[in-house]
Amino acid sequence: MSSADKEVKNDRRSFLVKLTMGIFGAGVAAFSWPYLRSLDPNILYEPPQRFKIGLPESFSQGVEFLEKQRVYLFREGNSFHAISGICSHLGCTVKYTPFRQQKEMKVRNLNVVSSGEFHCPCHGSKFRDEGTNYAGPAPKPLAWHKLEISPDDGQLLVDISQKVSRDFRLVI
Amino acid sequence: MSLTPKTSLWDKLVWSWKPESNREAGSSIVSNFLLHWFPNRVTLKSLAFSYSLYLGTITFALFLILTLSGIVLMFLYVPSVERAYWSIKDIDFAVSFGWLLRRTHRIAAHLMVAMVFLHMFRVFLTGSYKKGSAEGSKRPFNWILGVSLLVLTLLLSFTGYLLPWDQLAFWAITVGTSIAGAVPFIGEQMRQFLLGGTIIGQNTLIRFYVLHVAFLPLILFGVSIWHMWRIRKDGGLAVVEQIREEAAESPPDLPRKTKTYSILGIAKGTTVHVKEPSLLNKNNSVPSSPFLTFRTLTIVLLTLIFTIGLALIIPAPLEEAANPEVTPNPAKAPWYFLGLQELVGYSALIGGVIIPGLVIFGLGLIPFLDKEQKYIGRWFTNSAGRKWSIFGAIWGFVFSFVCMGIGVSMPVRELFPGIESQFFFDIVNPATLLLLTFVALYYLVLRITGSTRLAATATFSGFIVSFILLTYMGTALRGPNWDFYWPWQSWPEHPIQF
Repeated sequence: MSSADKEVKNDRRSFLVKLTMGIFGAGVAAFSWPYLRSLDPNILYEPPQRFKIGLPESFSQGVEFLEKQRVYLFREGNSFHAISGICSHLGCTVKYTPFRQQKEMKVRNLNVVSSGEFHCPCHGSKFRDEGTNYAGPAPKPLAWHKLEISPDDGQLLVDISQKVSRDFRLVI
Repeated sequence: MSLTPKTSLWDKLVWSWKPESNREAGSSIVSNFLLHWFPNRVTLKSLAFSYSLYLGTITFALFLILTLSGIVLMFLYVPSVERAYWSIKDIDFAVSFGWLLRRTHRIAAHLMVAMVFLHMFRVFLTGSYKKGSAEGSKRPFNWILGVSLLVLTLLLSFTGYLLPWDQLAFWAITVGTSIAGAVPFIGEQMRQFLLGGTIIGQNTLIRFYVLHVAFLPLILFGVSIWHMWRIRKDGGLAVVEQIREEAAESPPDLPRKTKTYSILGIAKGTTVHVKEPSLLNKNNSVPSSPFLTFRTLTIVLLTLIFTIGLALIIPAPLEEAANPEVTPNPAKAPWYFLGLQELVGYSALIGGVIIPGLVIFGLGLIPFLDKEQKYIGRWFTNSAGRKWSIFGAIWGFVFSFVCMGIGVSMPVRELFPGIESQFFFDIVNPATLLLLTFVALYYLVLRITGSTRLAATATFSGFIVSFILLTYMGTALRGPNWDFYWPWQSWPEHPIQF
């Protein structure tokens, strides 16, 4: 057998080996796909992202924590806004800690009067009462959720799937 | 095949466990299925308690205890969010000896994590990951198998942690899975795949349950069998290299034909003509049965006694049922993750993703960074090794102390109040500083001594000290809101609910 023949033979063999391996790989991938895909749920039986929380008049002035939804609702006169209670670091529930007396401070270059702040129990992150992170490992401010008035019965409607800026206010 | 005829059924069953001559001892290894994975003879050096401390044996014994207690617990536990917590309550209060099973399982799990770490420390400090001069030795690869066993053990602990479905479990897993979410780009997808949704719920519980009781134990069992098989293929524990070194110095015996099972064609490298004279002789080795079997059995029994003894003393805690609405304060991970939680307290990206990733990767790299084939199987290498390891330990102590001091007294965010970029704080924080000091330590020692082994020894010793210090910090010195408290300070009463 000449060396040229050998080369041809080797080429054919290596081609067949590659082809077999390729088909084997494709087979493994095709076989595994249903198994992996089935583990990625199509329907989530989780609480709704958009929910009614009650009539605006039913909330007292100041801060109220909606435990089930982990949302803080703020009311100043007729102006409402909602801040997420989920720490932006690793998802623990932050706790609102009122000051003994109101403080004047500068937040985002605005002079504001603040009556409390948020503390995270897990890694000690701290947030101003409008959500800005100022201490600890939290990488970003607390999320603000969109607030609406439900057209059918006038209740407040929180949409936690929609994030809004820290200047959002719902005035009634 | 015993030499003296065994007549009674009892003798036929047990003769291989108590051989009466060297010949019988050899035969017993071949004829008893349970003994066939032991070598015929084992060196006295390998048997020495002071060398291996039998930490690997203890670890596997704990795994067996966990499997046994875990199988019984599987009959008693219901993996559903409505019933999981209450089935644990039943195990604790209604099932006969349920409390003992659960305590044993929990204590054995904690011990196993501790023993895996101690075993790794032992293998590193005795330089047992080195290839040596044996034909076909793959000890570096076995070290990698060991590192993957460490990761598997931690994953098993972590998945088991959620199952009681109490507050401790729920929030530890909330924090743990959010760390996965801190991985750049694919983090959130990874987190949701782990959870089977966007929040911890039924999908998460069943996922963790199946991983904990079937998937991970099977993989861990397979890898640990591989790990032990490699020890045999590599010619025993690494300390045997010393016998090889001694043999190399003395004039060689004539090569002789030795019985070898590799003629079956299973193993590469050796043929009927064994290339080197056998290292084992009557002076440096004894038959595995009964000398190794007896020791193994003793260690397994002592481990069992110790575990059950601890289980009788230490109760398994069960907090209130999981409540996604209320985060306990402070919320802490299991103890072996508290060092990590302390680092995560500086930055989730550095402390939760980059440092653990580098540590696991770095551990795997050790045998490939340090290829010096000297002083194998000697604790702390030599006198210089002891010196540098003390140096590394002090270095680790000082810089962990400094790092934690900065973390407590000078939060980086307050040093740079004008900067809002998160990227900046992910780079500039005490955890990064700690990481850099270890890199510096390695290169400093390497530069002074010119030895990768000494540099690795110093860095590893520093790592051990740092791991212990950070774990202590996270466990004992962190109170509500993750604030710092001295051990003698009492924590303030915190209202749990808003």
